[in-house]
Amino acid sequence: MSSSTTIGYAGMTHLGINYAVAGAGKGFNIIGYDPNTAVIKQLNAHQAPVIEPGLEEALQQRESFLSFTDQIQRLSSCDVVYIAPDIVTNDNGQSDLTYIKDLINKVIPVLNSEAVLVVLAQVPPGFTRSIDLPAYKKYYQVETLVFGQALIRAEQPERYMVGCAAPSEPLAPKLAQYLQAFNCPILPMLYESAELAKIAINCCLVASVSIANTLGEICENIGANWSEIVPALKLDKRIGPHAYLQAGLGLSGGNLERDLATVVNLANEYGTDQRVIQALRDNSTHRRNWPLKTLFATVLEKNSQAKIAVLGLTYKENTHSLKNSPAIKLLEDIATFDITAYDPVIKTLDPKYSAKLAVTAIDAARDADVLVIMTPWHEFKELNFTILANVMRSKQIIDPFKVLNADKAKQHDFKYFTLGQ
Amino acid sequence: MLQHLNQTAIKPQRVIIVGAGGFVGSTTLKNLQSKGIETVGVTRQSIDLLKPNAQHALAEYVQQGDALVMVSAIAPCKNSEQLIENLQMMQAVSNVIKDKAAMLSHVVYISSDAVYADDVALATEDSKVQPGSFHGMMHAARELMIKTAAGNIPLAILRPSILFGLADPHNGYGPNRFFRLANQGQKITLFGGGEEQRDNIFIDDVAEVIALALMHRSNGVLNVATGHSHSFKDVADLVVKTAGKAVTVEPTTRQNPVTHRHFDITACRQAFPAFVYTDIAVGLQKVQQQFSGQQ
Repeated sequence: MSSSTTIGYAGMTHLGINYAVAGAGKGFNIIGYDPNTAVIKQLNAHQAPVIEPGLEEALQQRESFLSFTDQIQRLSSCDVVYIAPDIVTNDNGQSDLTYIKDLINKVIPVLNSEAVLVVLAQVPPGFTRSIDLPAYKKYYQVETLVFGQALIRAEQPERYMVGCAAPSEPLAPKLAQYLQAFNCPILPMLYESAELAKIAINCCLVASVSIANTLGEICENIGANWSEIVPALKLDKRIGPHAYLQAGLGLSGGNLERDLATVVNLANEYGTDQRVIQALRDNSTHRRNWPLKTLFATVLEKNSQAKIAVLGLTYKENTHSLKNSPAIKLLEDIATFDITAYDPVIKTLDPKYSAKLAVTAIDAARDADVLVIMTPWHEFKELNFTILANVMRSKQIIDPFKVLNADKAKQHDFKYFTLGQ
Repeated sequence: MLQHLNQTAIKPQRVIIVGAGGFVGSTTLKNLQSKGIETVGVTRQSIDLLKPNAQHALAEYVQQGDALVMVSAIAPCKNSEQLIENLQMMQAVSNVIKDKAAMLSHVVYISSDAVYADDVALATEDSKVQPGSFHGMMHAARELMIKTAAGNIPLAILRPSILFGLADPHNGYGPNRFFRLANQGQKITLFGGGEEQRDNIFIDDVAEVIALALMHRSNGVLNVATGHSHSFKDVADLVVKTAGKAVTVEPTTRQNPVTHRHFDITACRQAFPAFVYTDIAVGLQKVQQQFSGQQ
């Protein structure tokens, strides 16, 4: 066990908490700091302020290695202090670095003389080098958080990418000891390389999705089916079984948009070619409007009196949040039409949306000319085609996320529209 | 993208149409009048925008609260002389807009999709403005002139695709020429196999989008296109069928590579969701009926 080494995490965010709990799992003493007293109280009571499979159980099981505090001085006992706040982005996808800079400025004075600081939050290239600490005391580490898999990925990383001043020199011993405990390749590289590596990963992911979107859209027009092509691509060693090839409705959430914006800004600043990245951004915007376009092409161009049923309003399943929800955007765009909506958790809706709310999915579908499934809630998978066929006026379904079975829909004489086919 | 200053449609108190004698202008005038909107039609006969007194004469028309639609142009603009003249015309109108800024409630400019680069196969309002023709260059320059003149007055710039309608004075390659040839019983000659796809818009739809922009006091840029492109061959066949004449549609050896132009009209859906464009077959039938009625 490595209990003589103490690791601090400043910022009890989705990122900070999961990495801290993963470190405790390896037997390190972990101190989690956050100025938010309410969050600290929750964590000390083994309650996770973020939802991740297994997180609350791990908080409980590993409590002897974990302590949480709102007192920043407690970080002075740490050998390594990770900086892990949330980085908010503006509408242009640019990061607001005010908070992380403040946090670093508060942490530096409490670092003990042997301790090193590691920036874990995502920052633009050049940020770590600019921190007012000698090179041997500061590192950047690429985080690869995935919501819903955050703890397992923190516990079983594919590799560590560590930004430092001199990649050929050994890492600070306590940092090396900590990272080696996870038994994965460690790739030291220059600060700027590591900062760009995270962006590079995201660019590759977005590129894959954009390829899926572009070819999926062609599939929709030529009678091909993208979902038949994907497995073939995944069996190609150069593409791989985990490639991001699911056609979607464009980027949302902000992180990927931020990385693309960073690349475009850097390219513009240094006069390098950014057109490929700009094309990825444009494709995202283009795909976002797929439900609206499909709705007009299939129904509204022919029948402006059509009744529309919208199932799902939240931005994704298992949440109450309507923020940046494609469904809400759709309601705004089609506000002048006759809409009935249903969502398992949304029971009131701002009157400005003009949509009526039904109490069940079937009630929403009653007399509808088209059913649009905008959030892939699990309960929509259970929709019965026979009942739908009975209650709907016209048998048409727009289902971007393939919640329903396309073949079954067609067997029941529904016109069925989904991404990529 | 358009932003509406009137979220619900409100009739403008009066609309001055500069270029009311033309194809788009006259249709717009009639459409606005049919909605009970007071209009003032300015034609070349009433004010020649190339004459020195044009600015003064046009300024005389403007009353408090007027909206102004600028649709006058020497079109298609084919050479540098016509380009300069078109800019002079716009100069006169722009000066009036600047001078009467306090009185004007709204300005609408009818531009063209020719402002986009020729190789834009899928056009949106965000497509790069990079005209490859005098006509496109003319509209791009005039957009900038009127935008500068309008300042804080809400300005809708509408960029229609290929227009068709009975009163079209031009005989350009496309539905209008096909229609005339078919009704004269003459063969229709295609460029190559007529493979190029274009978005053909019925003139009444352009007039209606102008009316909608006026009633919503819209600000911004909007393409005016149906979102459905058809090959010249398909359009020619449709014209022949609609005309009911025994006319052949003949290909020629292709001289130029095939280019297509489609429109993503999401911005129009968002701006005017209840508006439905006329299907090309329906539009051509209407033109044929109007033509037969005149015979």
